[in-house]
Amino acid sequence: MENAAIFGWALLWILFWGALGGVVTPRVYARKDLEISQASFGGAVIGAALGPFSLLPLWFATPKITSRLIGIAIAIVVGIFIAAFALADPDNLCVANGGFVISQLANGIVIGIIYGLMALGLTLIFSILGVVSFAHGEFYMIGGMVTYFMTAEWIPGVSPIIAILASCVVTFAIGYLFERIFLRPMGSGEIERPTEYAILVTFGLAFFLQYLTQALTSAVPVKAQRFFPFPRTEIPADSGALLKMTPGNVTVFDAISIPNPRFTAALLALMMLAALLWFLYRTWVGKALRAVSQDRQAAAVTGINPNSMNTLAFSMGAMLAGLSGASLVQVFSWLPQVGIPAAARSFVIIVLGGMGSLPGAFLGGLIVGLVEAAGTGCIPDATRAAAYIPAYGMVILTLVLLLKPTGLFGREL
Amino acid sequence: MLKLTSNSIYKNFGGLEVLKDVSFTVEGPELIGLIGPNGAGKTTLTNILDGALKPSSGTVYMNGERIDTRPPYGVARAGLGRTFQVTRAFRRMTVLENLLIPAMAMRATARQRDFEEKAQEVLEFLTISHLRNEYARALSGGQQKLLELGRLLMLDPQMIILDEPFAGVHPRLMDVIYRYITEINAQGKAFIIISHDMDTIFTLSRRLLVLNYGDLIADGDPEIVREDPLVKAAYLGEDEE
Amino acid sequence: MSPTRIYRVAGTITIVLLLLIPLASSELNGLGPLVLSSYFMHLAITAFFYAILASSWSLLAGYAGQFSFGHMAFMAIGGYTSGLIGKFIRFTTAPSELCTDIPLLGNWWLVILNIRRVGTIDESCLDMAKTQTLPAGTLIIFPPVWASIAMGLVMGAVFGLLVGWLVLRLRSTYLALFTIGFSEILRASISAEIPITEGQSGLELVPLFPAGIMGFTSTSKIPPYYAMLLLFLFAMALMTWLAGSRFGLFIRAIREDEEAAAALGVNIVRYKVLVFVITSTLAAAAGALQGHYIGIITPNTVIILQMSLVIAMAVIGGLENIYAASVGAIVITFALELLRTNITIGPLHVDMTLWRLVFFGLLLMLTLRFQRNGLLFPILERISRGRVAQETVSIRVESEELEEVVTEEEVALETEEEETQPASSEENPG
Repeated sequence: MENAAIFGWALLWILFWGALGGVVTPRVYARKDLEISQASFGGAVIGAALGPFSLLPLWFATPKITSRLIGIAIAIVVGIFIAAFALADPDNLCVANGGFVISQLANGIVIGIIYGLMALGLTLIFSILGVVSFAHGEFYMIGGMVTYFMTAEWIPGVSPIIAILASCVVTFAIGYLFERIFLRPMGSGEIERPTEYAILVTFGLAFFLQYLTQALTSAVPVKAQRFFPFPRTEIPADSGALLKMTPGNVTVFDAISIPNPRFTAALLALMMLAALLWFLYRTWVGKALRAVSQDRQAAAVTGINPNSMNTLAFSMGAMLAGLSGASLVQVFSWLPQVGIPAAARSFVIIVLGGMGSLPGAFLGGLIVGLVEAAGTGCIPDATRAAAYIPAYGMVILTLVLLLKPTGLFGREL
Repeated sequence: MLKLTSNSIYKNFGGLEVLKDVSFTVEGPELIGLIGPNGAGKTTLTNILDGALKPSSGTVYMNGERIDTRPPYGVARAGLGRTFQVTRAFRRMTVLENLLIPAMAMRATARQRDFEEKAQEVLEFLTISHLRNEYARALSGGQQKLLELGRLLMLDPQMIILDEPFAGVHPRLMDVIYRYITEINAQGKAFIIISHDMDTIFTLSRRLLVLNYGDLIADGDPEIVREDPLVKAAYLGEDEE
Repeated sequence: MSPTRIYRVAGTITIVLLLLIPLASSELNGLGPLVLSSYFMHLAITAFFYAILASSWSLLAGYAGQFSFGHMAFMAIGGYTSGLIGKFIRFTTAPSELCTDIPLLGNWWLVILNIRRVGTIDESCLDMAKTQTLPAGTLIIFPPVWASIAMGLVMGAVFGLLVGWLVLRLRSTYLALFTIGFSEILRASISAEIPITEGQSGLELVPLFPAGIMGFTSTSKIPPYYAMLLLFLFAMALMTWLAGSRFGLFIRAIREDEEAAAALGVNIVRYKVLVFVITSTLAAAAGALQGHYIGIITPNTVIILQMSLVIAMAVIGGLENIYAASVGAIVITFALELLRTNITIGPLHVDMTLWRLVFFGLLLMLTLRFQRNGLLFPILERISRGRVAQETVSIRVESEELEEVVTEEEVALETEEEETQPASSEENPG
């Protein structure tokens, strides 16, 4: 990095005014008897955006802090961040090479879709049961393991579709059994302090599943073959300038290059997402689920059995994690521990998007996918940056929890 | 001598005005009933007096000290105790421990055994001394309510706010609570009692505050308040009284 | 015998036995037929280490209701602080000129070694100073181990204060997520800052007693055994006293109902922060001691699986009792080692090194589900409270007549309260 100082000072500037805005704004708003629920977070991002040039007008005019205002401020912060980075390191691939940037973006979005799908499962569970499943990563891991062993060891040559379906069935079944045995008693008042119980018992499940898989398989990393190789295609036929497909890769406009496994995984995820939305908004059971998430008692009065909705939500959430794992086992190498960072990522996503919010989870997934793509592609001093990668998401998580525990979307389904 | 003043309290939740310009003064060991239809802002007012909520504007003074800026434990130490609408005993602690908490919290250097005798007296007064070493969760709902009242006696405040002390209580326990209020009041502690039970509140209290959608519409002798046209209008069709 | 007396006698016997165990160790040629291997002594030290962690976590989670997943992070803070001081700080009788020198009293200097640059030859500035700037006869002294451990405790307390203050507004799930985030950030930073912490390869620490003590060498297990045992006993004594005093009363009240506790005059802010500070300091102390005993500390001690081991120990023993949690930790440490033996039943070969943790996980879940108070706590509870139950059974029958009648009115009231709840939490977040 050539002019690291520029970047450092820009970061310091953003942090300083952000912190000042976050601390002072609620006081200003409180003094004027205005609503302060958004003041801390809004003040922080607005301060981070333009420093004193935005904070002083904010404190004098004290407008209502709308989500649009916050959105604009966030966009400015991101813009400044990128500009400072470009100024500081003009030779970086992320600055100098447009094709590379677009490729990274596309890859970030593609992987973000899958992250979003996994987090969707977690947020579905939270919105119905009010529980964060700490075993979510293990369902993801099991989904991948089942798919790998089906296609590679048990029935070689079986269609990946069958393997993916099998992993769905397995994760759904484990989720079902676990919910029936361990979470169902929470509803009946048999268990005191249910929230803490749920944290610990899902934690125990994670521990159990992880070591069970390790005992059954081994600690050797595995990786599945790509499910659906692309046909070799070139459009136009001679140069492939518009679209060029090899079995392992697709290149569009000679610029955006996406590896086949990621592409198919994202496609699978999108199909699953469409199916999930159809299920939630068009079927009776899906509507019942949403009703329970909005008002448990009212839903119970209309004849919906909230207990069976709990079971359904938990098993479906587990299945969504399993499905993400099943589609990613051809992208990453797989170990019994692979669920831990994946779960951590899901926590970041749902906290960022707002616990229990479906659109929030999906958007959060995209953001985290993009940030990771930028992080791996753009940061110089690669070894050190790589070691910090697990921490970036966690920094987001802790900051959101401290500044705006409701996340981007609050709670809605 | 106790003096509690609430000066022009406003409270907004988002756009909703829950309290509008509520002012009143309590002087000496009064026995006040606070009534109003559902959603009138009674519990919000309690939470503001107790420090659990901050008013959007307005102040609360107790014996010359401003208390609306204090956290709830600061207000409790200033001499104001309260119960909650839904009973909130410390369920996995024994009855005795429940009682010791406020007593210990009030005095920085005291030891538990200094208060055990007083706790025993309180339990006998409330007719639950046999449950002394039981976990609070083993108590019936009514007994838990008595336990809450006992905790207030151990806190020994100058003023007590009871939120729905009679709701869903067996008639026999009701007598105990009734006796509790009158005797403790006679010992010089002021009471504000929130209740839906009109009969009890009219016979018990010597002054009535009526809240209606955030407005304090009446303040005075129960017999006079009962005939107030505003109060009648507020309750028409709301409650049978 | 009264329950207190039973506890006292049992406690004294246990302490005496624990103090006598080294006499039977192989280093001292055993006690008649009983010869405890040095591996057994190692396990005992590890067991005490986990017992301190599990019991202090039980004080934090079981008593105060703060389900933090950052306990191992505080442990690591203790270990790393002590290790880094040993690595980077020296006392000399003359300024080195090449390192950062801070003058102290007399002609002593505190020297902070330069951070090694990655990629260049690892040559300490002090080594260079020895040949270049330092006059002959200059004394160079390592910081004493006890002092660096003490600094580890201080750092544990400081971070405990910081985290405790930050999480004041966060409850249950959010607290769990925040503390997971905290420990992951710490772990990533330790792994990444290789020039300072040596990253994944681990930071080396000097032995607990570098020059040996009372005739024991620095590799003997007996001095570390007593050090860890004394820390364990001290921690238990401290926590026993705390749990029995106003502190214990108040943090349990906070666990049960924070708002009600505040309404009764309990300074909830002070006690919530305090419980974090105390338990973090104990964890840091255990971490520093264990670090010096093992001789190395790696970022892997902070991973979530390590944390779940401590949680499992506390839960299986009994989350809401520090004794149950510590006994649970000791029993499980030994049980996990005993279960390492492989089993072969006919053609079936079970590798127990893998399967023991599977069973352990299952036991954790089943304990949570069916024996919420742990496997040991109910026994202690029976000893101390059996009489209370008998006394009140008869009285219960009478008082059942007083059972309240839940009217529709109360149901209506409860829903009203629920409606006002979200509004109030918006206004006053947390």
